[in-house]
Amino acid sequence: MSHLFDHHGAENTGYSQPQGLSTTGQATVPKGLLRKNPARWPRLSEPEMVRHYTWLSKRNFGIDTGFYPLGSCTMKHNPRVNEVIAQLPGIADIHPHLPEHHLQGLLSIYYEMQHMLEICAGMDQVTLQPVAGAQGEFTAVRCIQEYFRLRGEDQRTKVIVPDSAHGTNPASAAMAGFEIVEIPSREDGRIDLDALAAVADDTTAAMMITNPNTLGLFEADISAASAIVHEAGGQMYYDGANFNAILGITSPGLMGFDAVHFNLHKTFSQPHGGGGPGSGPIGVKAHLAPFLPGPLAARRTPTAEERIQAVDEHWYHWIEPEHSIGKVQQWHGNAGAVIRCWAYYRRYGNGLTTMSEHAVLNANYLRHAIHREAKRIGVDHLFVDGAETEVAKHEFTLSMQPAKEALGISAMDVAKGLLDRGYMAPTVYFPLVVPECMMIEPTETESKDTLDTFAKHFVEVLTVEPEVLHEAPVTTPVRRVDEVYAARNLCLRHPFDDA
Amino acid sequence: MVDQLPNRGRELEMLREMGFESMEALFADIPAEVRFKGDLPLPEPQSEEEIISDARRLLGANLALGQRPSFLGAGLYRNYVPASVFQLVTRGEFLTAYTPYQPEVSQGMLQAMWEFQTLVSELVGLPIANLSLYDGSTAAAEALTCAVRVHNRKASQPNTVYISALTPPDKRSVMFNYCQGAEIEIRTIDHLADGSLDLESLAEAAGSCGVYLEQPNPLGVLDENLVRVKEIIGEHTALIVGVQPVSLGVVEAPGHYGADIVVGEGQPLGSPVTGGGPLYGIFACSQPYLRLMPGRIVGRSIDVDGNEAYCLTLSTREQHIRRHRATSNICTNETLIALMGAMHMALLGPDGLRVLAERNLQACQAAKEALQATPGVTLVHDAAHFNEFAIAVPGNAAACLAFLDANGITGGFDLSRWYPEHDDRILVTTTDQTSSADIAALAAQLALWSTHLEVKA
Repeated sequence: MSHLFDHHGAENTGYSQPQGLSTTGQATVPKGLLRKNPARWPRLSEPEMVRHYTWLSKRNFGIDTGFYPLGSCTMKHNPRVNEVIAQLPGIADIHPHLPEHHLQGLLSIYYEMQHMLEICAGMDQVTLQPVAGAQGEFTAVRCIQEYFRLRGEDQRTKVIVPDSAHGTNPASAAMAGFEIVEIPSREDGRIDLDALAAVADDTTAAMMITNPNTLGLFEADISAASAIVHEAGGQMYYDGANFNAILGITSPGLMGFDAVHFNLHKTFSQPHGGGGPGSGPIGVKAHLAPFLPGPLAARRTPTAEERIQAVDEHWYHWIEPEHSIGKVQQWHGNAGAVIRCWAYYRRYGNGLTTMSEHAVLNANYLRHAIHREAKRIGVDHLFVDGAETEVAKHEFTLSMQPAKEALGISAMDVAKGLLDRGYMAPTVYFPLVVPECMMIEPTETESKDTLDTFAKHFVEVLTVEPEVLHEAPVTTPVRRVDEVYAARNLCLRHPFDDA
Repeated sequence: MVDQLPNRGRELEMLREMGFESMEALFADIPAEVRFKGDLPLPEPQSEEEIISDARRLLGANLALGQRPSFLGAGLYRNYVPASVFQLVTRGEFLTAYTPYQPEVSQGMLQAMWEFQTLVSELVGLPIANLSLYDGSTAAAEALTCAVRVHNRKASQPNTVYISALTPPDKRSVMFNYCQGAEIEIRTIDHLADGSLDLESLAEAAGSCGVYLEQPNPLGVLDENLVRVKEIIGEHTALIVGVQPVSLGVVEAPGHYGADIVVGEGQPLGSPVTGGGPLYGIFACSQPYLRLMPGRIVGRSIDVDGNEAYCLTLSTREQHIRRHRATSNICTNETLIALMGAMHMALLGPDGLRVLAERNLQACQAAKEALQATPGVTLVHDAAHFNEFAIAVPGNAAACLAFLDANGITGGFDLSRWYPEHDDRILVTTTDQTSSADIAALAAQLALWSTHLEVKA
């Protein structure tokens, strides 16, 4: 084990710094504000620090380590040139408050990204400010809220979500002050139009839904759902978590949506970084555009003077929407993530459709391969599809309920068995509507060989003696972690000697 | 794009094995009326070499702060992030992982975040820290809603919080958006002419759910009055202090003078300015706020063999479990940037942080002395400062900044954008990266500006 707080080097063993500009620093601080006891931070030299974090990294699993079929998270390969670009001083060392003539490059990229996302989503205006998917949801429902307030429809206080929705949907709408109305999915996992029609009325502000849904199924009735909500005077909100399945094939705009968020860290390959950063731009139809957070990138013909500093035939500048809800992040969103995703989009250009086709191809192929391998070794009775369907989209679900009933093997057991075979586990126990659910999303960046091998390993796990599988994983840095112990014996920081 | 798709050329083989003859068959479930007609009206795909070439050209058209003397800060601070931080943080095991839902194969990031929590906890003087929120502004906003959740029942001013009247409008806007859903009213507390908090005005905040103040304040003033706030507002009103974390190498930790929640923009520790994001928001609190706080938290636990192991804990506060009753909607956060922060903190150690804070103080003091001696320039607040201070210039601040810009200096922040009543004030920001030559250049050009105006008059 390597522990950061075990390092007690001599004073000033850490990073060496140049001389300051004078000697009067501390003397300028009012006496009553001087720090009495320094933070009990460790003292490490650079070699010790580098070794500690390298050791930690070796105890962590990423896409670079192996196959990462975490459903709903779109764990695709992150092209490395994007990291090189994001460290150029023209993004790493720029301040968002610099005057526009010093930010023409950033503004042009922002404009290009807004425009590209507008095309892909079938929306009229995009803002890049929200920094994560959940913040995008929150931003969009805030815009919808202000839209109705300006129209004098203050009674629209409810947001409808299907029971299969991501938890962020109801959480974001509740944070904006909406009441949540949850509607059940049909037996086959799709939206229940009768249930929707029963709750949509003049108190409905919006419906939030993802398509393909969290079971990886395309909601063929989506236009009818949009019609029901619109008929009631509400707005349709598209959760873009599963956008990787449909880019260039259909769009939220074509499906009748009024607002959408994108998870650039999913669809456009901003590295997930162990939990973030992300980027969650939103796009809206024209009637919601005046409410977006500002500023937005816009362009016009340059003046003669501006032409000298222009990066192309346009002059880029910021604009504030007329009835803007204000800000959801203090600056211009996660600019560094936007730049990476711009580099990613440029690689595909008008070929983004191919990306989605391959994502869907791989998901269907893996589903096929798992069933094929299960039949081959006779374990096909131990799981069923989470929902019946001819084709899935970018992900699919399996229910381990039969294995649970027959052998006592749970979805979690299978997940841990996969860890022992060198894989990240799929998402488990989500969506809640599928018992013993495993949600599998291979993404387009996995080879057929990887998918075939994973399928073999997946079914092999089901042949393991249940008592042995309950003990999995055994090859990982630690074995099954006791989460109950963690919650009952809270230890949220290094205890030092005094605690 | 071909180099990103391993199965290019094998499509038909895979389709046929599934019993399909075309890619189209996989999309047969999408009704014709919602299908895109034709191709996406976007440019042709580019190769890596073309992309990086375009990126260099476009990003090269931006003005990097380091290209010339720069005094623009106002919440973001140009720093130096040690090379080892970049080298380590781009290791694929960290970079390409996601939220550690499977702790057995995520011990590296979990332990690193547990250590981050400890580093932040020690830095601000509070026992609990989460593993980051989006940025300083959302951390401040979430602190306000958290304070209301904790104190609303006993508050004589329920659903009410107070913030410093100096809080920048963009940050206030974020606060408003986060608070309005819970019908929380945000009122303001005034400051005196020297920039310090008006303790008489503060008295009105007693009995509310929370008070948000910054140290240093948004105009860089180190305010001794803050140490008296907690006794005035009492135990049923949360004291929330926003910090510039580097300052805590020399300035007292707010947890040691009564703060219940400390938030802040983590950027100066570990992250470049990056156009304003990604950054990381610091959020730390005392025990009573633990179960109602936002964000992810790592706990130390044991595995089935009794060995030390780490995992996410207290998840029942969070959206994926609690859904619309969650303490926050946050899911994806800023873990990787927080990791950069942890690495920078680890490398600095307590002595390094003190030295770094000293360098920031010294640069600020040097700039104040130089500008105090510059004809036409006056310092607005007679006070101690960290990083930045407000000056008044002859004429109009925007025109003065344009003059400085034309003469090769990024002069600072036009304070009329925050406080429209003052059109002659500039917030001058220095950091550990400011040189004596930078300061001399600014002073010389400001002197020229004064002369320039006199000549014009």
